[in-house]
Amino acid sequence: MIDFHTHTPLWTSASWLGGAGFDADDFVRFMDAVGISRAVVLSHDGLFHSTPEANDAVAGFVGKHPGRLVGFGTYSPRRPEALAEIERSFAELGLRGLKLHPWLQGFSMHEQVLDPIMEIVAAHGGILLCHDGTPPYSTAGQIAALARRHPRVPVVLGHAGLHDLWRESLHFTQETENLYLCICGTPPYAAARILDRAPAHKVLFGTDAGLSDKASQDYAVARVLEIDEWGITEAQKRAMLVDNPARLLDGAA
Amino acid sequence: MNTLVVDAHVRIGQHREAALSVEALLAAMDRTGVDRAVVAPSEAQIAYDNRAGNAATTQAARATGGRLVAYAVANPWRGAAALDELAWAHEQGARALAVDSALQGFDLLDGLVDPLVRFAAEHRWPVYVRTGTPPGHLPLPTAALARRFPEVAFVMGRSGATDFWIDAAPALRHAPNLYGDTSYAPWDTVLGEFARDPEIGTSRLVFSSDQPYATAVGEMRRMRDWLLPAHERAAVLGTTMAGLLGLEKEPPA
Ligand SMILES: [Zn+2]
Repeated sequence: MIDFHTHTPLWTSASWLGGAGFDADDFVRFMDAVGISRAVVLSHDGLFHSTPEANDAVAGFVGKHPGRLVGFGTYSPRRPEALAEIERSFAELGLRGLKLHPWLQGFSMHEQVLDPIMEIVAAHGGILLCHDGTPPYSTAGQIAALARRHPRVPVVLGHAGLHDLWRESLHFTQETENLYLCICGTPPYAAARILDRAPAHKVLFGTDAGLSDKASQDYAVARVLEIDEWGITEAQKRAMLVDNPARLLDGAA
Repeated sequence: MNTLVVDAHVRIGQHREAALSVEALLAAMDRTGVDRAVVAPSEAQIAYDNRAGNAATTQAARATGGRLVAYAVANPWRGAAALDELAWAHEQGARALAVDSALQGFDLLDGLVDPLVRFAAEHRWPVYVRTGTPPGHLPLPTAALARRFPEVAFVMGRSGATDFWIDAAPALRHAPNLYGDTSYAPWDTVLGEFARDPEIGTSRLVFSSDQPYATAVGEMRRMRDWLLPAHERAAVLGTTMAGLLGLEKEPPA
């Protein structure tokens, strides 16, 4: 299975969560323990404080296990150096996507600075993964508006709308060709309904591993084990955990 | 294990995307070692058909010899009729009040719900308040409501899951009569932080499976995985909620 939403440790920033130190070997041990073959690893420090070094660190982390870990960088889009740094994150660091977190990074999806950034993502065949499920600036309708302007870029809703906005995330995934959703922190009843109603090739799964206070990422393990309680079919499970993420990451449409 | 386990909140009946029959709930309780569960009715019954909802929860309580404990519901927009409804539910055996400002269409601080909370105070009922994302049902306004009624115990349903978990700790610190519920919350990040906080601690947390939105097995498995001293575990899993409901003076159901 492929986990489409994980994070590196927080190396340089403070957060309200405790967090734990772990290295790429520890992380692969967690993946092995729960049966995750590959994981999309998103920037963590860069969500709080964008620096080129934060992207370097993601590239260094995934570079330890390039067959298992796929890195997504980030950069605060309003910074004047954002374009150059995002270009570098793809061209030099080999990162495969861009993570944006509008409520942490403080911008709206409708700001025009995002358009040239999306062109860079498109030029490198990259993916945009955006935090969603949280008003005021991280809702699926807002993210879909950007996705419509950049139809060549697959845009992933990182949390499938969480508890209160999952219906909106499902709706815009249904009507927006290049919008996908990642069930991550979404409640089980919503996950089951999404799997039932979303285009079957568009549903992904993520644990948000990396935020735990323990290197063993216990809550991420629990989230994987809980899938068996959702009441979904084997075909839905296989599409969400194996086929859909592989198609997005490996490009075979 | 022979500690009393009380599930502080589930909803029975047919909801928009999920359903839970009394039989399925009892089977899940047997499977996960839950002695008693406090049941609210369906979404439609919480929103408008309050009489059917109160009939359903109190009937479930009677039919199970008190193993299920009934929440009462009344839409606060009904004014005096809402109080009549609560009085009827009380006669039928309800022992707590559940409010959901998103389903019932009010603001926790607009005063509409205050007469209902006053009724709860007169009958020593705890009050369950559903929390989540903006605009209407955040943890801190829930704390503000709780401070208006310091003699009433409030349960912060879902503890602001997920992006307002960050507000749950300040809410719990602000209102000492507010209790967090454990549903969806990882112990190795969120609940562990509450437990370590000297102004909160495990005595302010109650176990809730939030079925059918979450899964009985998944919610209980996380509780079992959480390494806590035995007396703290017993408090979270049941004795605290039993105390709020006044169940401890009764023989086990
Ligand atoms: Zn995340």
